[in-house]
Amino acid sequence: MMKGLHRFLSRGQNLFALAIVISYIFVAIAAPQLAPEENAKKLAARFELIPAARNTPQPPAQETPFGTIAITGITKQIDVYSNVIWGTRSALEFGLIVALSTALFGAIIGAASAYFGGIFNDIMMRITDAFLTFPIIVGVLFIQQLLSIILGPYFSMSALLSETPPPQPNLFIDLLSKINPLMLALILFSWMPYARVINAVVMRAKEMDYIKAARALGASHSRIILQHLLPNTISPAIVMAARDIGGVVILQATLTFIGLGGGSIWGAMLADGRRWIIGPGGNPLTYWWVFIPGTLALVLFGIGWNLLGDGLNEWLNPRTVNHLEM
Amino acid sequence: MPPILRFIINRLLSIPVTLLIITATLYGFVMLTPPETRAMLYFPQTNRMLTEEQVKRLIENIIEQHHLRDPYPVQYVMWLSSLIKGDWGYSPTLKEDVLKGLVRRTPVTAELTIFSILLFIPFGLISGVIAGWKQNRIADHQFRLTAFTATSLPPFIFAIVFMAIFYVMLHWFPPERLSPLLSLDITAPEWHNFTGLLTIDGFLNGRPDISLDAARHLVLPVLTLCLVHWATLGRVTRAAMIEELQKEYIVAGKARGINNRRLVWRHAFRNALTPALASSGLSAASLFTGVFVVEVIFNFKGVSNMVLSTVYGPPDAQSILGFAIYSVIIVLVIMFILDIIQAVFDPRIREGIIS
Repeated sequence: MMKGLHRFLSRGQNLFALAIVISYIFVAIAAPQLAPEENAKKLAARFELIPAARNTPQPPAQETPFGTIAITGITKQIDVYSNVIWGTRSALEFGLIVALSTALFGAIIGAASAYFGGIFNDIMMRITDAFLTFPIIVGVLFIQQLLSIILGPYFSMSALLSETPPPQPNLFIDLLSKINPLMLALILFSWMPYARVINAVVMRAKEMDYIKAARALGASHSRIILQHLLPNTISPAIVMAARDIGGVVILQATLTFIGLGGGSIWGAMLADGRRWIIGPGGNPLTYWWVFIPGTLALVLFGIGWNLLGDGLNEWLNPRTVNHLEM
Repeated sequence: MPPILRFIINRLLSIPVTLLIITATLYGFVMLTPPETRAMLYFPQTNRMLTEEQVKRLIENIIEQHHLRDPYPVQYVMWLSSLIKGDWGYSPTLKEDVLKGLVRRTPVTAELTIFSILLFIPFGLISGVIAGWKQNRIADHQFRLTAFTATSLPPFIFAIVFMAIFYVMLHWFPPERLSPLLSLDITAPEWHNFTGLLTIDGFLNGRPDISLDAARHLVLPVLTLCLVHWATLGRVTRAAMIEELQKEYIVAGKARGINNRRLVWRHAFRNALTPALASSGLSAASLFTGVFVVEVIFNFKGVSNMVLSTVYGPPDAQSILGFAIYSVIIVLVIMFILDIIQAVFDPRIREGIIS
């Protein structure tokens, strides 16, 4: 393990990945210090006062280091710098929550069905394969629609404006209304690769002597799974989760960009700046700050976690796992 | 029965099983909504203005008729049988039958998907084989860098960059499906829809200019869509090639003096093809997601744009449910085609040694 760690740290590629990931974590934690909210309010107030600043994106200045984006229709400017900073925090939060819950969910399904084996395992893996044919975008649309139907009577505009007061939400409804639909959809419909990989690994580990010994000693099912199998089989899931953190954030930004919600600050900023990308005379560099900082933030985030995943893969799964993942 | 036929039948049989699992799960989620909402799945198409009282009575009738207060299995079977009958519900947002709407717009989406698959599979395989063959040499490094970039960047960024360069600056490849002037021609009565694919129909109608124009509009979306799948397929092929090239039959072949090119393409490549195509099969679902994004960004009026337009209106669960089932069917078809290609190329599958 230590030798592996040493080799991991001796590769420039891995150090680069670690540097990127650590700086994102740092920015996410220090967001309130780096871009205080009072500043944003002050800036917003100032932009209200200057009519000329309302129509076109403003270049970087002292207080807005990355410039601003003009939003058409409601004469408002948004500060690119604070969006990049706060976007980091929300992206990291989203990526970590989604990737870890998906991994956990998939790992539990995969491990449990492998552990009990037999026909139960066959059925579970058949279901897993069936879900692999379900495009994630469809899951997102479906969950969004479902949530809006379930929550409609409580929170929709028409319910709030109608004469009879909307019903009091119970705990379950209240909880549902706070969940980001995209997050829920991703967890519900992208656990399959984890389940497959963990399933294959556990199937093999099950035949190992230490598991047989534990069973002979009378250890319970949950104890064998949680204490013996998971710690020894979790490394492929860790690698996939590291890659997924980048992947889900990119997907989130993509969906926000095409107008499907999801709450990505970077994606929303790029969508706001979309009409300014082509400047006057067809020059895409006139308003470069409209898309370059946001794109870079997103792309580096993806590259960092992806590279980290590759490095971890070499360290934790020498050989074997690579083909299982396919 | 020849093994290849058994293989094909085996794969065909798994399609309804998958559909059953997916529909059962989706309907399980639908059960979370009140019966009045579920009644909307069967709400008939009507032009009459109904009073609130009439709507209420109609919904009560539907609930009665389709047993919407009964336990899950009864309702699921009722719903499934109406799906099989081709009754996928009526969408109030689109003012159209869901199934009809989906089928009508399929050619637009199919054109994008087919051209992407035709492009990324051969290129992915070839570049993967070359990179694996020339491992750690310049070609390999270049491939890995490009593939890594293509998989780490979000597709919409590519779309923006491509549009900025090739449309705004160079005026080569415009967005949308067809130039405005030519879209008049395809709605004219003399135009016959043979396949619905403009690139092919243009030639069949004796209008090669339309085919060319449609192809010109397809370049950017297809390229955007292909990049990430090309990179994934290439990486898997590369890994499989490296593994194959270390095996003993390759060493033996070398010892017998078979030239390298023949060893790589005739021997190692055939064995590496199976894992490579299997990985493409598994990413068929993400191909569908990619098509959705590309269709929206490049403004193609296919199934994705249709479904997107129902998202913002009043609740329209029937469109989304229909789209979900439709998408799974499409993904299954793509996977099935890949399986067939695999069987054709891999003698082990053809002869029934592995399945």
